Amino acid sequence: MRLNGVLIDDTFAEAFPMLGTRLVITADTPAWVQAAVVSMTGFATSVIACGCEAAMERVLPFDETPDSRPGAAVLLFAMSKAELAKQVARRVGQCVMTCPGTACYAGLREGSVIPLGNALRYFGDGWQIAKRIGGRRYWRIPVMDGEFLCEAATAAVEGVGGGNFIILAADRCSGLAAAQAAVLAIRNVPGAILPFPGGVVRSGSKIGGKYKGLIASTNTAFCPTLRAAAPASLVPEGVESILELVIDGVSEAAVAAAMRAGIAAVAELGAAGGVVSVTAGNYGGKLGRYQFRLHEVMA
Amino acid sequence: MSGVVLTTRDPAGPPIDMTGVLPERLAEGGREALAGLMLVRGRGRHRLDALFAMEDGGPFGALILRPGGAVLDGVGTGMTAGDIRVEGDCGAYLGSAMRGGTLTVEGNCGAFAAAGMAGGSLRVLGDAGDFLGAPLAGGTRGMSGGSVLVMGNAGDRVGERMRRGLIAVHGRVGRLCGARMIAGTVVVGAGCGPDAGQAMRRGSILLPQAPDAVPSGFVDGGMNDWLFLDLMRKELIDGGAWPSGFSTAGTRARRLIGDRSAGGIGEVLILGEA
Repeated sequence: MRLNGVLIDDTFAEAFPMLGTRLVITADTPAWVQAAVVSMTGFATSVIACGCEAAMERVLPFDETPDSRPGAAVLLFAMSKAELAKQVARRVGQCVMTCPGTACYAGLREGSVIPLGNALRYFGDGWQIAKRIGGRRYWRIPVMDGEFLCEAATAAVEGVGGGNFIILAADRCSGLAAAQAAVLAIRNVPGAILPFPGGVVRSGSKIGGKYKGLIASTNTAFCPTLRAAAPASLVPEGVESILELVIDGVSEAAVAAAMRAGIAAVAELGAAGGVVSVTAGNYGGKLGRYQFRLHEVMA
Repeated sequence: MSGVVLTTRDPAGPPIDMTGVLPERLAEGGREALAGLMLVRGRGRHRLDALFAMEDGGPFGALILRPGGAVLDGVGTGMTAGDIRVEGDCGAYLGSAMRGGTLTVEGNCGAFAAAGMAGGSLRVLGDAGDFLGAPLAGGTRGMSGGSVLVMGNAGDRVGERMRRGLIAVHGRVGRLCGARMIAGTVVVGAGCGPDAGQAMRRGSILLPQAPDAVPSGFVDGGMNDWLFLDLMRKELIDGGAWPSGFSTAGTRARRLIGDRSAGGIGEVLILGEA
């Protein structure tokens, strides 16, 4: 398949189930929302070493937040419910509760329950107050600028992690431009996030490596500098830069929609924009339950 | 099939104990089951259809009561589902031990309304008596869930020993509002008598201005912004329960913390000083 001169490889992205939740963070100003979100989603790029994958899903206008203040929706994904609960408690406790003026609410209602304020309330040292409003339970935890209002629990749903596509570009500048265009397009897709820095991964990995105990190592097949030396290189002539976009979503449909939006944005730049082809990372179907075939996604 | 309208045949007689006259009984056994219920009135026990004229009316599955001046005690006692509407005044124990459903009284009600209530929605368009949401006789905890809205005034000891849930009174309440409260929320639109929050342990009492007299165990926590008030306001405005005397914006209020003499960390929030 070719779109605007860009070859779309006949392959699939291999993804796997993860547990995910959505949190809504509000504050007095958009800048403080941003501060809390950036802090909370920091070092949450890959479950390989971070415990969870997280990013802002979208900015919420004041009329979409529970307390009518500026806010943002954040998605967090982990490999188990216990790990997700641990990461939620740690990150909200250390990065949202500490941020001036913030409040934190559950962004999902249906699913298995994981503690949110219930895990943080003891910080109130006995002065915390529970309040049930509109059928939902909140904790009011006294803090130095007033009160941290936090919904008692949130819901975890089975999501999809590791959706991806890989951009092969003629040079680093055109590869970066294509990746950034894809990021902008994907950020408009509800229910999906790009957990890596700026939404882009340059150090795509393969499973294992030559060194004992290494979980992952650089994806030599997609390293342009190793084209002449690495076995089974997948880098064609004329490609100097390869970037990957990794997508987590609350559903298979959300990941597919994000991939479609991202690949379409890349293809729009076309061969004239230095994009050679788009492919996807998979492990022969051995890693995950979900397979997103690029041709089907773009059909 | 419509609901059933019960009209009192002899309004001048002694109070009728309405315990057991519930929409769920109508749903399970139909109109016949309802008609055969034995009710206590004065010293006697009577079939329901001897005390009330029964006719079809109202929405499906609902009970509509027309007391016509008779005192009906215990309306909606133990109710778990469905809809009861009282077109007139009620006696005592309205919605006591109620666990679900909706109960609306177009007039006034007596003492111990919502006593021991655990769920559902109770709405009184007139006034309520003393011990609204208080414990049932012998109980140690008052209302433990659900919501109560009184459009008029209420008597003394509103929310006594209340454990959970919400009581919103648009008018004024008597003395000892929220006394010995354990948790939950009482919203009063037009002020309350003395000693609000006496011996309260937790919970919130929202007032438009400081009560006539605050128990000595309360300390002034000063003014601050309370974000939960915004959520509560929206919830109550949507349900028509936000007292008209309160502001429709802002989260600022003065907080009195107490009752420290009982080891309590409850709060009386005064919204009118913001």
